[in-house]
This record gives sequence, C-alpha cells and structure tokens, in this order.
Amino acid sequence: MACRTICQLLQRRLASSATSVRLSAAEVRGRRSAVFSREQARQRSLYPRTEKIEVTLQIPGLQGTLLVMNKGLSTPHSCARHLTEWYVTSSALALVDGKPWSLHQPLTQSCSLSLLTFKDTDPLLVNQAYWRSCAALLGQVLLDAFKEDFSVELLRLPEVLVTSGAFCCDVVLDPQLDAWNPSEESLRSLTRGAQQLIHRDLPWEPLEVAPPVALEVFSHSRCKQEEVEEKSAQSPKGTVILYRCGDHVLLSGGPLVARTGLCSQYEVTAIHPLGEGKWGLHRRAQGLSLPLQQQAHHTVWRKLRSRAEKLVRKYYSSQF
Amino acid sequence: MRLTIQMLISHGRVARKMGLGPESRINMLRNILTGLVRHERIETTRGRADEVRFYAEKLIDYAKKGDTDEKAMKMANFWLTEKDLIPKLFKVLAPRFETQPKAYTRMARIPNRENLDKAAMAVLEYKGNPFPPLQTAKRDNELTLINQLLKGYREQRAQQAAGTHWWVVL
Repeated sequence: MACRTICQLLQRRLASSATSVRLSAAEVRGRRSAVFSREQARQRSLYPRTEKIEVTLQIPGLQGTLLVMNKGLSTPHSCARHLTEWYVTSSALALVDGKPWSLHQPLTQSCSLSLLTFKDTDPLLVNQAYWRSCAALLGQVLLDAFKEDFSVELLRLPEVLVTSGAFCCDVVLDPQLDAWNPSEESLRSLTRGAQQLIHRDLPWEPLEVAPPVALEVFSHSRCKQEEVEEKSAQSPKGTVILYRCGDHVLLSGGPLVARTGLCSQYEVTAIHPLGEGKWGLHRRAQGLSLPLQQQAHHTVWRKLRSRAEKLVRKYYSSQF
Repeated sequence: MRLTIQMLISHGRVARKMGLGPESRINMLRNILTGLVRHERIETTRGRADEVRFYAEKLIDYAKKGDTDEKAMKMANFWLTEKDLIPKLFKVLAPRFETQPKAYTRMARIPNRENLDKAAMAVLEYKGNPFPPLQTAKRDNELTLINQLLKGYREQRAQQAAGTHWWVVL
C-alpha cells in the first residue's frame, strides 16, 4: 500500500510536462495537422446557411462573366471548375480585387477574379509564388528525410529572386549531424522524395488564423513561434496564413501555388552550411525546379542546375 | 529508244519540266528572275519559285565577280531581259551580299491561288529587301520563369567572364 503510493508519487514527480517530452516527428506533424483541421472546420461552420456571392471574371476572352458562388465555401479553384479543364490545370494563382490569392482559399465577398498562369504577359507574381512553393516543398522533404532519432528544425524561408538561380530553405539539423555533409546519393534521395510528393499532386490548403491558434500549432517549436509573432506584427489584419500540404503545416512569406503537381522538373542541388546561428548550425538547402508548362531541354537544365549548386546570397524584401 | 513502263514512272527524277520544253523552261525562268531582280519580292507558283531560287543565287555569285568580268557580264546580259536591271544587279545586289557566302533568297509558302487551278503559291524574295518581313520570329515572353532563370545564368556568365564577382545583400 505504502509502496503503491510511493510509486505513484515518484511517477507524478518524474513525469515530465507536455512541452519537454520528446515527441517523435510524426506525432508532432499529426498534432499540427489536427489543430489545422479543427480550425478549418471551425471557420467553415461560421457560414451555416449557404449565402451567395457574385464573382466577376477578368479573364481574357471571358471578361465580365458573372459567376454566382457560395460565400465562405467557394474558392477560385471551384470558379475555374465552372469554366473548362484547361483553366483548372493551368492556373497557378488567382488575383482577387487585384490582390494575390491562393487558389484554394475561400472567397468571402463579391469580388472580381482573374486566374494567373505561367504563360501570362506578366507572370512575376506567379514566378515568385512558384519559387516560394518549391522552397516549402523542399522544407517538407527535409523534415521527412531524416530518421526519428535526429531532429530537424525549419527556419524562415528566405525570399529569393528567381534570377538568383535557386530557391533556398534554411534548416537546422540535430547537433549529432554537425559533421555531416550531403553526398550525391543523399541529394538524389531527397530529390526522389520531392518527386514522390509532386506525383501525389497534393494541394496547398491555405488558412488564415489568429496568432494564438498559430502559436498552438507550432507549440513544439520555439523558432516557428517567433516567426508567427513577427508575421502577425507585420500583417495589416494581425492574422497569419498557414499552409497545409499532405499532413505538414507550414508558414510562408506569401501565397503559394495551387498544388504540387504543377512542378515537373525538380532537383535538390546542394546543402551549404551557413555557420553557427541562433538555433545551431544553420544550413541552406537549395534546389531548382520548373513547372509543367515550362519544361527545359536537358542541355539547358544541366546548365541551370550547375548554377543552382552555388550558394545563393541575394535576398529580396517581400511586400507580401 | 525502248518504250518501257519505266519511262512512264518518274520515281527519283529531280529535274522539273516546265512549259513547252527545256528552252521554254529557261525562258520562263529568265522572265521570273528578271521580275525578282526588279521587284526583290515576287509571288509565283511553288515549283517555279523553287526552280528560280537556284538561278537567282547563281546570278548573285556571278555578279560578285564584278562588272569588269567578261563571263559575269555575259551571264547578266543573258538572264536579265530588261537591260536597265544589269547596273542594279552589279551595283546594288552584289554589294549587299558581299559578306554572305550563300543563301541570298528566302521562299515562303502562301495559301493557294483563288483561280480555278488552285495552284500552290509561294513568295520568293532577296534578303535585305526594303519591305516589311514576311515571317517574324516568335519570341517567348522575357518574363517567364525559364527565361528569367536563363537571364540570371547569362548575367552570371558575363560577370565571370569580366572577372568581377560581387554578391549584393539587400
């Protein structure tokens, strides 16, 4: 009897609090995804009755077409589905009242909509969104790539210009891997991982959340929480946009393209060590990618790839 | 000669027959060539344009020899039926193609003639003529993703060639 109480007391004393328990990466992912789904369901339940909104299309050839869509439920993707299959497969980003808008983000009021592709006369927004999406995909691949014993921490995705030649993802690996340098084989296996994600054609679902929810999502990562606080301070409405792909939830500096299936050629080119930073040894993973509609001949690809292996330092201060 | 079935089948025969016979063919080509030298861009049937191309380029090769050359002058005299075009050939067309070794003409196919014969037509022109171009080369938009990447690549190569490396951190 006394033995049992002593055991119970010891158990209570020795049981660590929730935050200091070393959860496996899969569990962390599952929890983040669960919080995301919960918040998504809550936001959808804000519109119990179907209300209609009018969406005016601003697409060349379909100027002024009026679509009657559901408030809080219809996305630019569903508007494209009302048109033809070509619009669904080729549109990467949408412009709602002139502002960049993710294809899977619900529309909340009557507005004008235009769908952007890679072959427009001015694809700057689409290019930047694509670069950001490829960097997010790289981050996701890195999170999945290592064994459960090693922790991987994604830092802020740097906003890099397209002309710099490669997209970057800053990452901090486990201290046990400080001496590790990636070989050709490891880069190729990372590329395989990315190609598998591309093949699954997962959509990037956006969700606009209040900072407390975002802090709850990233409750196991201090650097992500700092990033959430910074972003919420910078945004005009004080909210943060989270993106979910598969079961990974991530933060991004701007809108991402519609789905992973839009990338066709994708290669992880290098991982450079950046030196000691706030969270450990910072590393920059770089890659190169081209979308389905802009594939390169293998000779051109080889030249661009050899450029993408070099360390990229040019930054771009984003206004998104 | 032996009247064989082979004579009726023309497999592999590249020489075209035009007009009433070989002499008529040469006369027709002469007229077309004179028109080409006068106007620098003409519209004829496809077969005739293709035949004239060879003679038009050979004529320029002869003209490059200069008007003091005996043979060149005889050729120009034979092929150009309107004699006021001989000075134009030697003084305008020959200097224009000084730097080019060959390929002085361009042929573009156009829709069939509206007449009953619906003949396949073509436009034949000397390069460097003063008219607007027949076919503009379609350039892909400079701002597409692949073109932006290539632009960055070219700039980096130019920087490396110039021997300066700078990395700007904004």
